[in-house]
Amino acid sequence: MKLNAFPTAASMLVVSIVALNCSMPATAYGQSAQAPPSDPTNAGKAVFSKANCVGCHKWHGHGGGGYGGDALSLRKTELTRDQIIETVGCGRPATGMPFFMRGAYDEVKCHGMNRQDAGTQMPPEGGTFLRPKDIEAVADYVIAHIKGAGEPTYAECVAFFASASRVCDVYKTQGQKPEDAVANTGKNQ
Amino acid sequence: MERLSGYTRISTRARLLAIAVAAGGMLAAPPVSAADEVNQERLLNVDKEPGNWLHHHQNYSAHRFSSLKEINRDSVKNLKVAWTMHLGGIEGGGIWSHGGLEGTPIAENGFLYVTDGWGSVYKIDAHGGRGVLVWKMDPKTDRDWAGAVACCGVDNRGVALWGDLVISHTLDGRLIATNKETGQVAWQRTVADPDKGEVITGAPLIVKNMAITGVAGAEYGIRGWIAATDLTTQKEVWRTHTIPGKGEPGSDTWKDSNNAAAAGGGSTWVTGTYDPATDTIIWGTGNPGPDWDNAYRPGDNLYTDSSLALDATTGKIKWHYQHTPNDPYDYDSVAENVLVDIPGPSGPRKLALEADRNGFAYAIDRTTGKFVWGLPFVKKVTWTKGLDAETGKPIEYDPNKAVQTYIAAVTPSRTNMETDICPGNMGGKNWPPTAYNPDLKLWYIPVIESCNRIKVEVMTPDKLKPREFWTGGGPSQPFTITGSVTAIDVTTGKIAGKMETPFPNLGGILATPDLVFTGQPSGEVMALDAKSLQKLWEFNTGGGVNAPPMTFTVDGKQYVAILVGLGGAWDKWFIDSTPELKKIQPGSMLYVFAL
Repeated sequence: MKLNAFPTAASMLVVSIVALNCSMPATAYGQSAQAPPSDPTNAGKAVFSKANCVGCHKWHGHGGGGYGGDALSLRKTELTRDQIIETVGCGRPATGMPFFMRGAYDEVKCHGMNRQDAGTQMPPEGGTFLRPKDIEAVADYVIAHIKGAGEPTYAECVAFFASASRVCDVYKTQGQKPEDAVANTGKNQ
Repeated sequence: MERLSGYTRISTRARLLAIAVAAGGMLAAPPVSAADEVNQERLLNVDKEPGNWLHHHQNYSAHRFSSLKEINRDSVKNLKVAWTMHLGGIEGGGIWSHGGLEGTPIAENGFLYVTDGWGSVYKIDAHGGRGVLVWKMDPKTDRDWAGAVACCGVDNRGVALWGDLVISHTLDGRLIATNKETGQVAWQRTVADPDKGEVITGAPLIVKNMAITGVAGAEYGIRGWIAATDLTTQKEVWRTHTIPGKGEPGSDTWKDSNNAAAAGGGSTWVTGTYDPATDTIIWGTGNPGPDWDNAYRPGDNLYTDSSLALDATTGKIKWHYQHTPNDPYDYDSVAENVLVDIPGPSGPRKLALEADRNGFAYAIDRTTGKFVWGLPFVKKVTWTKGLDAETGKPIEYDPNKAVQTYIAAVTPSRTNMETDICPGNMGGKNWPPTAYNPDLKLWYIPVIESCNRIKVEVMTPDKLKPREFWTGGGPSQPFTITGSVTAIDVTTGKIAGKMETPFPNLGGILATPDLVFTGQPSGEVMALDAKSLQKLWEFNTGGGVNAPPMTFTVDGKQYVAILVGLGGAWDKWFIDSTPELKKIQPGSMLYVFAL
């Protein structure tokens, strides 16, 4: 069975998760004050962090070459929602993109393959398994906030990190930079 | 008690102690004996207090050798766990799902000072055959900021002591001085800037009232440096860039039109050594960036992949020795330079030993910076046929070529976009420290016996962005990687023994008169015979050993301590080469052994 036939019940679950999300304080998902609490993709954003998508694709989804090889840019992706769901659930054979669906390649064939068929092409197992509704949620988040976006911006970064971290400072434009953001490195004192 | 507010996991005994200190403070200054003040005299003469471990690398020469011998070849079979302590710092941040432990404990007068991956410092009272936490200093590291640009893990390799202060670094670029008695931060100073891709993982080196700091970030387009901070004025004394500025000597080894030097790497994230006889700091430098696209940066790319000798007072470069010019492999020379004097035909030969990521061990004359000998310490080297006997440069090195290809068939390049190299890019030896037994004149290297696959990405200036990887490709792990402890006879420059291990050595080594201690990322801590490397004792910690063992005494009794908690680069980037290690859980634990 291919994953793009995710049970339609899952889509109904998405509806319920959205409802759930609206009825709960945004902080339950670790969201910042800046993020609109009614954003229906907040649950997907939480999955994006929890499942450690950020570990390779980074918070902004741009991925990029590096020590882990090349995590594809989700900002430049042309995958559809269904294809993203399949990729998250089944991983990408012969790459470092893990599968996140419990039972993938065992109880459920992925890309038409079980574990034996996949052989050395078998993708790694994700650090956590995601339920179908979580996979749909993270796909919705990617479609809504990452796919097709240009260069990462300060506003996007602040919306992602609900913290007092300086992680976003680098995206500030000159006008946005307070004096204290400039570290006193590189010069003799 | 106000000074203790915020420390929630403090023991009852520590509370009592703190009350005693506070009470004492009301009557008079807290009692601090002169013997507890660390000064230059003590740092120069650590052999006079063998029960303590005052330097990150044990002494200024990085011998990691202890003369303690209660635990010896005959008695080691009775070695057992004396006590353990769970630490913290396992949390994730940035691109990291968890932290790990790579630190070397410091021991002074029965107290241990250790760090976790996020830079919290723990002072532990080791008296009475058990460990009791005295205080914990949590620097509140900005995890997302620093963790997003830490190429190779949430790591902190330990502290140094000076006066009544504990000196430490944080991943987010700070140098912190903590009061040794109270655990209160006395002062802190920003040294590195994660906005530029700079982070700090190494322990500070203390030289003459200065803390010497190295930086990581050659995978993020930094321009590396070594910096000295005056521990009294808290001001920067000098900062020497490892890549020359325009017009400075060596700048002509960057021949591109992209201004590649400005983002050229040359990190310095492993603590260096100090030769007081010549007032010289010797420090290794890391790879050039982008790592695998060396056509982006034609020229030798000084002073990347080098051993650098600096005047300790001014920071001026005295000499350099470059191991892999125009490196296309990510073969850092960031490792510690071990300072060794051996008898020679015309008086003692003063050497600096370095076990390079490129698979070769080097002896350099540390007076002149000239090559003395070199040999491969790994089983397999494919990128060069060997070193030139005179210069020590790889035989294929051609100073007239702007872009080196070495053995072109295996070397990553714009015409060889996917290729297998041995050693793999983690190198034959990475940061885990070597140890040197001055009696036997044996030098023990913690080895990664490896190959891996490199895919090249052609870089262009527009791809250089703040806080983004600047590697020009990336590795993958289609091959099984193992390890060894390899001993080199420093008098001959020949391999004296090799003890192979199923997994790479990711922890480093401690030498004692007749033993060698080391560990495995699969959990084992072991003691080997110093001459035969035969295994004499082993204990499975149940975690992954990713840190070096050390030894100390309390009330005359010898202990061996080691931090256990697999983190760092391996279990994120290299785990496919050691699939069995996927079973090792993140952890954060101090083990202390005794007879």
